[in-house]
Amino acid sequence: MSKMIVPLGPQHPALEEPESFTLMLEGERVAAATVALGYNHRGMEKAAESRTYVQNIYLLERICGICSHSHSTCYVQTVEALAGAEVPKRAQYIRALIGELERIHSHLLWLGIAGHEIGFMTLFMYAWKDREIVMDILEMLTGNRINYGMNMLGGVRRDITPEQGQKVLEALDALEERTEYYKNVILQEQTVAIRTLGVGRLSREDGLRLGATGPVLRAAGVVKDIRKDDPTEVYNELDFKVATDEHADVYGRTVVRVTELMESYHMIRQILRQIPDGPLSVKVPNRIPAGEAAARYEAPRGEDFHYTRSNGTDKPERVKVRAPTLANLAAITHMIDGGFLADVPIVIAAIDPCFSCTDRMVRVKDASSGRDDVWNWDKLRQYSIEWHKKRGQDLGYRI
Amino acid sequence: MQKENDILNSLSKKFPEIDISEAAVSVRKIYLSVPEEAFMNALKFLSAEFGFKNLCTVTGLDAGDGYEFIYHISDDEGVLMNLKFKTAGGDGVTIKSVLPIYQGATFYERELEGLLGVKVEGLPEGRQYPLPDNWPEGQYPMRKN
Amino acid sequence: MQIINKVMAWARRKSPWIIHFNSGACNACDIEVLASLTPRYDIERFGIQLKGSPRHADVLICSGPVTMQQRDRIITIYEQMTEPKFVVAVGTCACSAGVFEGCYCVEGGIDTAIPVDMYVPGCPARPEAIIDGVVKLLNTIK
Repeated sequence: MSKMIVPLGPQHPALEEPESFTLMLEGERVAAATVALGYNHRGMEKAAESRTYVQNIYLLERICGICSHSHSTCYVQTVEALAGAEVPKRAQYIRALIGELERIHSHLLWLGIAGHEIGFMTLFMYAWKDREIVMDILEMLTGNRINYGMNMLGGVRRDITPEQGQKVLEALDALEERTEYYKNVILQEQTVAIRTLGVGRLSREDGLRLGATGPVLRAAGVVKDIRKDDPTEVYNELDFKVATDEHADVYGRTVVRVTELMESYHMIRQILRQIPDGPLSVKVPNRIPAGEAAARYEAPRGEDFHYTRSNGTDKPERVKVRAPTLANLAAITHMIDGGFLADVPIVIAAIDPCFSCTDRMVRVKDASSGRDDVWNWDKLRQYSIEWHKKRGQDLGYRI
Repeated sequence: MQKENDILNSLSKKFPEIDISEAAVSVRKIYLSVPEEAFMNALKFLSAEFGFKNLCTVTGLDAGDGYEFIYHISDDEGVLMNLKFKTAGGDGVTIKSVLPIYQGATFYERELEGLLGVKVEGLPEGRQYPLPDNWPEGQYPMRKN
Repeated sequence: MQIINKVMAWARRKSPWIIHFNSGACNACDIEVLASLTPRYDIERFGIQLKGSPRHADVLICSGPVTMQQRDRIITIYEQMTEPKFVVAVGTCACSAGVFEGCYCVEGGIDTAIPVDMYVPGCPARPEAIIDGVVKLLNTIK
């Protein structure tokens, strides 16, 4: 059997970590996969050293446009720890509210992308249509659809009024009904099951060994969630369950994300019920005392990590960021290995690497004949859908 | 903060060369400097005895008079240990890879090589990360000079 | 000949195909470009379709500042497109590098690598703004 080498990417410049995969194929199966990163490396950690603490909130918010609130919250937590600032309760509740709304928008976005990758366009359009409900809410509360700019050192910039709270509750009812529907689709629709069950497996042991995080790890049955383990803000005052699943494959990751959506609705209702009155922020000096602080935050994609070291001036000495996707990339080559080429798109999409449907060139090279073909992501996706259609009902996985 | 102090006390009992009086402790967070020679054994000890099985990331920074490496490790109960050690500065600094203990460390250590220009012993060959292909040789953005 | 040119311009105006490329953005503009395809905004009602290959596309929608690593790639994609071609820079970073101005791996806005026909500012640019930008660009095609 001839071996083929398929370089995949790097025109997948989705977030700060666009990746390029080199896949070695034996027939239809992937024999070995390697990953190269750094296409969108902009040098933000260095840039953060020449900006003030306040400017950095807005710089670091733009690390990733989807989990922007996670990054800025994680960063302000490190600075507040350094300054010894006690954030008022009301501000903490508002941060958690925006954080959970962001999780909802991110998971609905992912559900749509996953539908797109497996050729289920109806799911893509449905999920993105419903995502607009939460985008409207975020815009009403923060003034922007993405990159909310809600955080400031020592608190938040905007208050929420009771009328806004009422609108959020109304939106939640609509979203909950839709999510219930998606849950049924995923659990009962054979198209989804055939394309996701047993695909991209990552066992509990491998996940822990390779340092995977977020829904990828929770889908392997590991109960790990920063909101529970290292609760910052008000998460220890909220009642919620950590969503897990035992499938340890793409199907499991889908179930975990949909369950997390339901948990987030539940948490937002509690937040709006429990939110106390009080000030929105405390004053934090421009010059931060020397020291160091680390913080973790459960972003929609997993554990987000920030570390800040200060030297007594108004600019940090060092800012270090570890986004969740980087932690999951070590595991992804493991998930692709031994799988079918046709399953590669959905396996990569399943770690939720901030996928945007940009074009990614795939060069297919047949080592024996020297035939050289240029594929783009669309063609690979098309190939993947056709390939499964041909085999369709005979994958051996049935509900 | 019982657990945090227990961890520090057992560390100093096992490794007398580690000075825990300088450690900064807050709820679920420990910041501790160790001598370079004791570092790898301390890391192994923490991973095996206290369940610090997850490496969050590795921070490398230029402290002016040398490089400082901070290994952020966490356990299942949410405790975050920040274990630091210092080396000399300039070119030709070599540190040991933690891949035998933490198999997900590849990208974190490759980043140290790329941004700070230190050699990580035991890291498999691979494409540089995260700097571009046409980046000038011998320039390391995270150095202060 | 004139009639053929008129027909071609009409076809181009009524059904431009776009390709989207992220040269180093934070992803926010990218999801807004994608959102403009979905039912709420439905950019297809203007005959606009998102294509996967630069060889099929008339309009290149770029988001994000140009990073050193992506510079050659964005030029390659631009060269692969057939004439006449148009470039829309979406988002503040694509227009002027925005918050990333001065980062060591960032070269500047899209116009430092390829010529730009339309700038859509915003952080991120809203779907309405993106649609407005593309439609205004189409009106300039005679």
